[in-house]
Amino acid sequence: MTLRTMLLRRLVISVPLLIGILFFTFMLVRLGGQDPVGLLAGPTATAEEIDIVRAELGLDKPLFTQFWIYLGNIVQGDIGKSWISNRSVLLDILERIPITLELLFWGVALGSVIGVPVGLRAAFRHDKWFDQISRGISLLGFSIPTYFLGLVLLFVFFFLLGWSPPGMGRVSLLISPPPTITGSYLIDGLLAGDWSVARSALAQLILPVIAVAIISAAPIVKHTRAIALEVMSSDFVRFARASGLPPKKVSRIVLRNSSTPVATFIGTEITGLIGSVSLIEYVFAWGGAGQYGLNAIIRGDFSAVQGYVLFLAIFSLVVFILVDLLVLVLEPRAAAE
Amino acid sequence: MAEFFTVTQSLTNSMFRKVFSKVIGISRRSPTSVIGFVIIFIFGFLALLAPLLMPYDPVSSDPNKILNGPSLEHWFGTDGNGMDVFSRVIYGSRYGFGIAIPTVIVSLFLGVPLGLYAGYKGGNIDEAIMRVVDAFRVFPSIILALAVVAATGPSLLNVVLVIGVLDAPIFVRVVRAEVLALRSSSFIESGIIVGNPTWRILFVHLLPNAIQGATAQTAVRAAWAVRISATLAFLGIGIQPPTPEWGAMIRQGAEFMINGQWWVGIFPGVALIFMVLGFNMFGDGLQDLLDPKRRSGAK
Repeated sequence: MTLRTMLLRRLVISVPLLIGILFFTFMLVRLGGQDPVGLLAGPTATAEEIDIVRAELGLDKPLFTQFWIYLGNIVQGDIGKSWISNRSVLLDILERIPITLELLFWGVALGSVIGVPVGLRAAFRHDKWFDQISRGISLLGFSIPTYFLGLVLLFVFFFLLGWSPPGMGRVSLLISPPPTITGSYLIDGLLAGDWSVARSALAQLILPVIAVAIISAAPIVKHTRAIALEVMSSDFVRFARASGLPPKKVSRIVLRNSSTPVATFIGTEITGLIGSVSLIEYVFAWGGAGQYGLNAIIRGDFSAVQGYVLFLAIFSLVVFILVDLLVLVLEPRAAAE
Repeated sequence: MAEFFTVTQSLTNSMFRKVFSKVIGISRRSPTSVIGFVIIFIFGFLALLAPLLMPYDPVSSDPNKILNGPSLEHWFGTDGNGMDVFSRVIYGSRYGFGIAIPTVIVSLFLGVPLGLYAGYKGGNIDEAIMRVVDAFRVFPSIILALAVVAATGPSLLNVVLVIGVLDAPIFVRVVRAEVLALRSSSFIESGIIVGNPTWRILFVHLLPNAIQGATAQTAVRAAWAVRISATLAFLGIGIQPPTPEWGAMIRQGAEFMINGQWWVGIFPGVALIFMVLGFNMFGDGLQDLLDPKRRSGAK
C-alpha cells in the first residue's frame, strides 16, 4: 500500500515537471539563434525552397501548436528525427543508453567503494590527520575539470606509459564488436565466449571508469563524512556510549544509521553525474547517449537535444523512484509512516 | 612632532597587532580558508598585473616557433599557433575572475530576493517558487548551461547570465531556509505590527540575519562558475580560441597531448584546477567559520 501510494505520488508530481522541462527545452532550441532550416536547405536555396523545407518540418506553425503536436507525438512514442543522423532519435538514444549506463555504473560503483569507507574513516578520525588529508584530496577532486582529468589520464597511461589503449571507442578498432545482447561489449563478449573482445572492451573501459570514479568519489567522501558525523552526535549514539557499550558496537550503530542517507545521497548524485559522464564520453569518443547529447547540443540538432533532455529527465525520475524503494527496504521506519 | 610620530606609530602597531592576531586566529581555526584565500589572492594579482607580467603578447603568433617545448625563452612552451603559453595562462586568469564575479553577483541578485520573498510569504507563492527551484535541481547543471548557451549564442555576456541564472536556485534555497527559521521571531512580528512595508521587512530586517548561509556559498559558487565556463569553452561553445581562456586552451591542447606536446593543454589545465581549488577551499573554510553547527562537528 505504502509502495503504491509512493509510486503514485511520484508520478503525479513528475508529470507536470516533465512537461515543464519539455516545454523549456522546446522553447529554448526554437527561440535560440540557430535555424536548422537554413542549414538543411543549403546555402544556394531560394526563399521558396526554404519555405518548403520549413513547412515539411512543421516549423511554419505557431510555437504553441508545434509544442502541442510534439507532445502528442511523444505520447505515441515518436520523439522526432535527428537531422544529423537522419534516424529516429528514439532509436539513436535507446541503442546508446546501455553504453552510457555501463560507464556510469562501474564509475559510481568504484567511486562508492573508495568514497564511502574513506568518508566513514574520516568521520571516525574526526579532525585527525586522516580526516584533514582526505578532506584536502576530496576538495581537489571537486576542483578537477572532468574532461581535463580524462585527458591527463590518457596522456599518462596511453602516451607516457603505454599501458592503456588509445581513447577511441569501446573496443579496439581491429576487433569486430560482439553480437549485441545487453549492449555492453564487455558482457556481450563474455557471453559470446570471445575472450579477445572481452579483454579489449575491459582495457578500453578502465580509464574512463577511473575518471568517473574519481569525479564521483569526492562528493561521496564529503557527504558520507558529514552524515556519519551527524549520526555520531545524535542522542541515541550518545545514549549507547553512556550505557557503556563497547566502541565496536557503537560504531556498528553509527554505520547502520548512516547507511540510508548515504545510499540516498549516492542515488541522487547519479543524476547529476550524467553531465560529467557525458564529458568523459566526449573525451574518450565513447559513443554513448551522453556524447550523442553533447554533439546534438553543439551542432544544434533540435529533436536530438529534446530527446536527450527527455532521456535525462526520465532517467532522473527512475533513479529517484529506485532510491525511494531502496529507502523503504533499508528503513522500515519510513514504510511505517 | 616626534611625540606625534611615536603615538601614531604605536597606534598603527597596536592596530596591526590586532589584525595580525585575528588572522592568526582564523588561520588556526580554518587553515583551508587561508590557503584558499592566498591562492585566490595570487590569481587576483596575476589578473590585475597581467600586462606587466606577460613576457609576450598572448595572441600574437610566431610562425617560427610552433609547438616548441618549455624553454628559458618560453617557460610553458608555445602552442600550435606559435603563441606563448605562459603569457596566455597568465592572461586567462582575467577570464576566470571576469566570469566568476559577475556570475555570482547575478545569482545573488536573483536568488536572495526570491528566497527572502518565498520564505516570508509562504503559501502558494513559496510553493510555486520552490517547485521551479526543484525542477532545476533534478537536472545536471552542466547540460542545462550547455543547452542554453548553445541556443542563445556564445557571447561572454550570455555565458555569465546563463550560469548566473542557473545558479540562483541554490541561493533561493539557502536564504529561504534561514527566513523560515526567523519568520515567527518577535523582532519580525513587531516590525510588521509597527507597520513596516514588506520590502522593509525583507531587506532591512530579514536580509542581514538571513544572508550568512548565502555568503558562505558565494566562494563555492564562484568555483563552479569558473569550472563550468571553462567546460563550455572546452566544448567549443562560449569563448572561442585563440582567446586566451583556459578551457579553450585545453581544447586546443587536447589534440597535441596525445602526440606528446603536453605543455599546450596541461599548463592551462593546472591553472584552472588551482583557481577552482582556491575558491573551493576558501568557500569550504568560510562555511566552517560562519556555520557554528558545522564548526563544532561531532562534539
